[in-house]
Amino acid sequence: MAEAEPIRSGRRVLVIDDASLVRLYYRQLLEDDGFVVEEALNGLEALEALLVGPFDLLIVDVNMPRMDGLTFLRTLRRLTSAAAAIPALVTSTEAAAQDREAARAAGANFYLVKPLEPEVLTLHARLMCGVPA
Amino acid sequence: MNEDEFRRLCDFIYRRTGMVFTEARRYYVERRVTERRSATNTASFAAYFARLRRDLDGEVEQFINAFTVNETYFFREEHQLRCLSGDLLARRIEARPAGRPLRIWSVPCSTGEEPYSIAIWLLENWPMVDAFEIEIVGSDIDTRVIEAARAGHFGRRALMRLSEPLIAKYFEPEGPESWRIIAELRNSIDFTTVNLVDAAGMRAHGVFDVIFCRNVLIYFDDASRRIAAENLYDNLMPGGFLCLGHSESMSRISPLFDVCRYADAIVYQRPREPRHG
Amino acid sequence: MPLIRPKAAGAPASSPDPRTAPDVAALKAALQHGTPDARRAAARALAGVPEAAGLLAAALAGEEDIRVREAIFTGLAGLGTGECADLLLALLRSPDAGLRGGALDALAAMPARLPARLPALLRDDDPDVRLLACGLARVLASDEATALMCAVLEREAEPNVCAAAVDVLAELGEPQALPVLARCAARPGAPAFLVFATGIAMRRIRAASDRAGEAGA
Repeated sequence: MAEAEPIRSGRRVLVIDDASLVRLYYRQLLEDDGFVVEEALNGLEALEALLVGPFDLLIVDVNMPRMDGLTFLRTLRRLTSAAAAIPALVTSTEAAAQDREAARAAGANFYLVKPLEPEVLTLHARLMCGVPA
Repeated sequence: MNEDEFRRLCDFIYRRTGMVFTEARRYYVERRVTERRSATNTASFAAYFARLRRDLDGEVEQFINAFTVNETYFFREEHQLRCLSGDLLARRIEARPAGRPLRIWSVPCSTGEEPYSIAIWLLENWPMVDAFEIEIVGSDIDTRVIEAARAGHFGRRALMRLSEPLIAKYFEPEGPESWRIIAELRNSIDFTTVNLVDAAGMRAHGVFDVIFCRNVLIYFDDASRRIAAENLYDNLMPGGFLCLGHSESMSRISPLFDVCRYADAIVYQRPREPRHG
Repeated sequence: MPLIRPKAAGAPASSPDPRTAPDVAALKAALQHGTPDARRAAARALAGVPEAAGLLAAALAGEEDIRVREAIFTGLAGLGTGECADLLLALLRSPDAGLRGGALDALAAMPARLPARLPALLRDDDPDVRLLACGLARVLASDEATALMCAVLEREAEPNVCAAAVDVLAELGEPQALPVLARCAARPGAPAFLVFATGIAMRRIRAASDRAGEAGA
């Protein structure tokens, strides 16, 4: 007998992180929770991905090569396209108040400190996408 | 090749070349690995991967070659030519000072198929072609291919994507399987040698509206790729466009350019204004 | 035919070498006070002057244009001296994520300077610096990187630094990392992500090495 499928929200999440195992971890958790996941390895790749697909949520690392997460968010929020309004969840290894404030000033909607427990990630993704938690 | 083997290979290829392969292209990657394993007589994936990592007998270059199909022919990657005539040139002629020619650079141009393709494509497909002076430059680091490009002799394979009327219009038959591009085209394209990482040599070529730089940066190491990107930026007019190969992306190399999506291609643009971080 | 043959292009051999007697004082002024284009041009010209490394690095702090920053980072990476490496390493402590990232990219492009500097960096008091240093180990040969990352895992308490080391091992780790990864995953209170990451890293190391020695399999 087949197991009950989770309700698939089909909400599209772009995971932006240079650490391949972080991307894989987020992908598996979010896909299991009914999200559709795409990946970008830095801020520039994320801007390129946003030209192609619409997204409901961005999950953004801070320290990345070529373009860091905060520069990405500042660039994103200045765009004239609809992408500029996509909510962004920053997940960072840096826990200090000034790091949170810098992310908020750059355009982050929420900030979580790594490493994330599975339910913390999916709960925040659901809340930020307007999916019942 | 299983999931873990594929991921490990992809990580390596990304770091070494900047090429990215998603899960959707796993079969395509697997085919290339099988080709190379058979060519190198390597028993297992792991043994081949070890060979690649150590770059034994230049295996990295061989591997990249397997992905780029290291042959050139006329109208290769036609979607970029459609993008050139359909979108890019229209942007470049907005508010253009009278009398300034449009400049297009094919670098590296190998034996000339790409710059000659650009010329033929524009003559055939760009409605404004008679309203502007157009300069096309083809450059390569290899003096031998530049000599061949100037001479303009081509075989059947190079012409496979061209219709008979186009061949009749722009080529003179020289034998059963050999054609020469007409003198008028040969004389209208300038062929030069250049090294993408040599700032002075690059600068001597002046600034361009559009640069085609396909399937070469993937062969460079990190430091050289960055320098080449800086040089290409300096060779573009503000607002000018850079076209890379289909498995390449400037997003893995440098933040100097803005990415633009048009109907037929994703291209990179030198911004008109400075950008703040 | 509208195509015209350009007259000015080419002749790169006869073009002047910008490295002959650059006017460092004028370039310094342009780097500090010029327009963005002038600052970027000055940074590129100074990239050929080894003594200018300190000048270039100092200009980064107040520089907001990312193209000027990029030219400076590319210049420092191209110069590639030990002084450049030390100037870049200092930026890993910057509160500006753009400067940290730019410094990491430039350092990754000068692999010859890293083996002498990485061990100390991996023992830095600041866990954020240790974490960034792990990523730099990717440019080393895989046996060297494996040894360094295993040593990090054996002594490191901060889970995010461990995770960074595991990410490197998943990419290029050799079989001797397997027992170290297993011990890391078995630590009491190991976060879910670290357990997940070590598991994947072990699988990938086995995938790339299990059958490497077999002939004709």
